[in-house]
Amino acid sequence: MLSVTNLEKSYSDKKILNGVNLKVEKGEILGFVGANGAGKTTTLNIITGILDCNNGKIEINGLPKESGIEYKRQFFFIPDTINIYKNISGMDWILFLMNLYNNKNDEKLNEYVNLFGMQESIKKPTGTYSYGMLHKLLLIAAFTINPPIIIMDEPLNGLDPNAVLVFKRLIKQYVEKGGTVFFSTHLLDVAEKICNTVAILKEGKIILHDQIKNIIGEKSLESIFMEAQIYEGKTSIN
Amino acid sequence: MNHFNVLVKKEFVQSVREFKIIWLPLVFIFLGITQPVVSYYLPLILKALGGGQGITIDPNMAAQKGGEVLASTLGSQFDQLGVMIIIVSMMGIIQSDKANGMLAFILTRPVTVISYISGKIISNYLFIACSVALGYLVSYAYTSLLFTAVNFIDLLVALLFYLVWILFIVSFTTMISTIFNSQGIIALISIVFLLACRIMVGLSPVIDNINPASMSKHAMELLIVGKTSMDVIWSLLAAFIFTALTIFITNAWISKKKFHSE
Repeated sequence: MLSVTNLEKSYSDKKILNGVNLKVEKGEILGFVGANGAGKTTTLNIITGILDCNNGKIEINGLPKESGIEYKRQFFFIPDTINIYKNISGMDWILFLMNLYNNKNDEKLNEYVNLFGMQESIKKPTGTYSYGMLHKLLLIAAFTINPPIIIMDEPLNGLDPNAVLVFKRLIKQYVEKGGTVFFSTHLLDVAEKICNTVAILKEGKIILHDQIKNIIGEKSLESIFMEAQIYEGKTSIN
Repeated sequence: MNHFNVLVKKEFVQSVREFKIIWLPLVFIFLGITQPVVSYYLPLILKALGGGQGITIDPNMAAQKGGEVLASTLGSQFDQLGVMIIIVSMMGIIQSDKANGMLAFILTRPVTVISYISGKIISNYLFIACSVALGYLVSYAYTSLLFTAVNFIDLLVALLFYLVWILFIVSFTTMISTIFNSQGIIALISIVFLLACRIMVGLSPVIDNINPASMSKHAMELLIVGKTSMDVIWSLLAAFIFTALTIFITNAWISKKKFHSE
């Protein structure tokens, strides 16, 4: 589904990604974890086309990143910081995005709007939305558009407990129907519960990538993460 | 519906929500009314107020014709204040999308850079062209009422010539808005360059042939004398080539991801 090979990225002299290799299979929920500055957002920004890489190859569904619009049609990206026009209503935004993906499903749209409790606010300009509401808006758009893969950068930030529950439920439904999810997160307990695969990124390199059931055993993902950090010679908790 | 239509529709929705759809046509209507009304009442105003300062109107002065007044609307009102207002209304067209992350957001969707740019340029152009046309037609109505009527075909052809110059203004401002990050700089560069283009009109026939602003001169010429020189073809060609060039530069700039600070 998603294949990242030998991804490298530098800003001036600083190397941010140092040969990232990653494969996300169809039907997988992959949690991309790592300390601040590990390169998670940079990796997602390169995959989604916001940034170019210095070296490496990316493919989704066999389509290389260079194939442009067909490649972009394979995923829906929810960034951590959501900046959209403030004077347009939430509903207009979702309709706009649905048109871009040539995917209209009013029935599903209404269902997700209700599930996320946005019946009233969806008609209001997005300038009146909180950070969490903007995340909900894009989650509604993502699930309605139903692309082959949903890529998210810290999707749970700002979500209220009810929205987190809805999010978990919809993610499972989406994957059962053949969707694939790739998201970065700091919340290791959430990653442990939602994901079936985890990749840990440290200093621009994947240091661990396996199925949750193979790596945690008796331990929690949190302790595995800490061990991986210490094993690599440095702990993020000092 | 293709992506271009979707983007154009979004721009229109945004213009409605920002009330641009109201204030911009009103500004051009006001500018359109000003020229014939002031030209008509100026002798009366001067007679009433200028006598004390020794300002008088030559009683043998030839009466202005409708075409001359309408040409002044284009040359004085629209080409000065009008151009500045268009630039100010457009200076954030790409810059604000870059600054707030909207450009990055849109370009992670199945949209080509050229669809995004053409959606921006064409929606803004259509909207500005309608505002200019509205102001021009109101000016025509007042001119016909207060002065002499203008040949209708000349009126329409002159408007089309003028709108070619407006197209260049829109695409040039879009390019500057893509390259620079400060709205003040964008406004300054656009105003200085485009007004300089306008001021240079008439200085040299060679420059006129490659100056997009000379489309404004051809429009005025048509209104005043009822015909225009064959040089209009060169000016038209130059205006379209320079417009295409600005779009090409804008596209290349965004495609190279120079919008993203790395």
